[in-house]
Amino acid sequence: MSAAKQAVADVGEGPDVVMDEGAVSVGLPVGQTAAGRKVLPIVEGLVLLVALVLPLVLQDYLTVFATRVVILALFALSFDLVWGYAGIMSFGQALFFGSAGYGVALLARDLNVTSIFLILPAGTLTGLTAALLLGGFLLLGRHPASVIFVSLGTLTGSYAADRLARGWYYLGGQNGIPSIPPLTLGSYDITEGPVYYYMALGILTVVYLLCRFLVRSQFGLALAGLRENEQRIAFFGYKVQHLKAIVFAVGGTIAGLAGSLYAFHEGFVWPNMLGVVFSTQVVLYVLFGGAGTLIGAVIGTVIIEGVSFWLSDNYRDIWPIILGVLLLLVIMFRPLGLISFVLGERERIGSFGARKEKRNAAP
Amino acid sequence: MASSFVAAFEILSFGAIIVLVVLGLGIIASMMGIFNFAQGEFVLLGAYVAYLAFSHGAPIWAGMVAAPFIVGGLGFVLEALIIRRFYAAPIVAMLGTYALGLIIRESVRGLIGGFYLTVPEPIGGSIDIGSVHISAWRFTIIVITLLVMGACYLLLSRTSFGLRVRATLENPALARASGISTPLIYGATFAFGAALAGLAGALIVPVFSLFADLGIRFLIQGFVAVMVGGVGSFIGPVAGAGVIGTLSAALPWIMSPVVADVLVFVLAIAFIKFRPQGLISGKGV
Repeated sequence: MSAAKQAVADVGEGPDVVMDEGAVSVGLPVGQTAAGRKVLPIVEGLVLLVALVLPLVLQDYLTVFATRVVILALFALSFDLVWGYAGIMSFGQALFFGSAGYGVALLARDLNVTSIFLILPAGTLTGLTAALLLGGFLLLGRHPASVIFVSLGTLTGSYAADRLARGWYYLGGQNGIPSIPPLTLGSYDITEGPVYYYMALGILTVVYLLCRFLVRSQFGLALAGLRENEQRIAFFGYKVQHLKAIVFAVGGTIAGLAGSLYAFHEGFVWPNMLGVVFSTQVVLYVLFGGAGTLIGAVIGTVIIEGVSFWLSDNYRDIWPIILGVLLLLVIMFRPLGLISFVLGERERIGSFGARKEKRNAAP
Repeated sequence: MASSFVAAFEILSFGAIIVLVVLGLGIIASMMGIFNFAQGEFVLLGAYVAYLAFSHGAPIWAGMVAAPFIVGGLGFVLEALIIRRFYAAPIVAMLGTYALGLIIRESVRGLIGGFYLTVPEPIGGSIDIGSVHISAWRFTIIVITLLVMGACYLLLSRTSFGLRVRATLENPALARASGISTPLIYGATFAFGAALAGLAGALIVPVFSLFADLGIRFLIQGFVAVMVGGVGSFIGPVAGAGVIGTLSAALPWIMSPVVADVLVFVLAIAFIKFRPQGLISGKGV
């Protein structure tokens, strides 16, 4: 496995260096450079392919586990967008995930709403609203917010929501809201298993493609600028705070979607979903896989959840310690995450906006 | 009358505990610009050292004296090996110290299991004032907190070491040019902050008992207190800790504890939003 990875890395990075200079000086159109530039679509395609055939080879209980991983990957995507692309450290991303989960759980419990066409929009809207409120408060205003303030503010928001859910009887207190009925499509129950898996995977794929389009657009270029040098972007005339609030809200929306899927998949919601536990979990996924690449978030989720599932029988006690050590090593020596083993710097940054051929042909 | 006195004592002693915990956090945040996510775990380690001393038959106060030195020593080693790499990037520092904290917390969890272990108070009993009884140990904590605060203040404002620390904080390049070894000062400051956390953990373990998530409980409260007080000085975080500690102990007396808990955080974040420099801004001691 590692040998194969190394081989891919060699193929990917070897010619890359040479071609980079050529591409810069000659200005070759994006599509015509060497095969070394195209690692990312291959990785994405492979992940999708594996994900598609997985339920055919897995036992039922493993498919249920795989569904959970797919939903968490969607959640990780939301954090990656906010941190990896816009450079906003949202240490409380679980607030949106959890509040959407609680919101749809309440809908199902008190109003008997389980139709997928109502639940998913409702969860998404809850996430969006929560993110707009918190993001608007933290990011907008007369004083530009410091990085530290935003990260600690989101962390505190998530922690406070956790405490509130724990103590509020209406939300079920410590135990959360148990036994949520299954999601329905017309008269059909979408229970956990292959159907739920493919639904979650479909949603993940669509959201992934939308995000991919977003970060490769001119908006994505502005975001990358924001991450790299906020002041310079402000000098260019962008309203930095608005950009941040927008991407924060988009992240919250995706987290809300993931949260509502998660609530109905697990069949219950509990305070940890809102709190520091899930908030830091998602940070681990993205850091591990590689912040600033969408596929890195997905891969990080799959690896961490997969290994933790695999080790949980025999090494349950020491797994969190191993995770901490690995994380520390990644932060210290591979700040770009595991994906940087196969993905060159140039491809990670990529290009933005319309393809060059089109732009040249336009006038 | 008696009950309001008891309430005042409760509020004061909880405020003192928060100040004690925040002191180290504030010194590291102010002097080094790092929000140390492992600080809660240093508190936990201090508590664990006190418990170890007790379970091996040594007197508890011996564990409490040893805790700051052991945790401080560990802090010095960690700074030299790991934290040093993170100075340029505050967010990466947060993530790195979070990973460190995760390692320490889960190691301690592995050592003590999922239990709540109790450690008796070294000074038991109560102090009777007329008809009211107050816990002697909590009173001792208040006294020790005051002493530690005073000692820290004197150390930073009156000694040559304190002068070097402040010089390094305000202008590292000039401090280096003046012959101050800034890496050593950073290491010593971090170790000092860790030692204070260790002391806090050892002192509060009889009150809260020992469990693996002991540190997390204080970490977020501590961060909020540092931000409310204002980063960049010694007095700021202490003042912030006083306010946050007093509020979170006082509000449950007049409203439901759940609402009070959340309200403190909301108020604090709103305050920081509109006054980012904190209660006491400016550099110096």
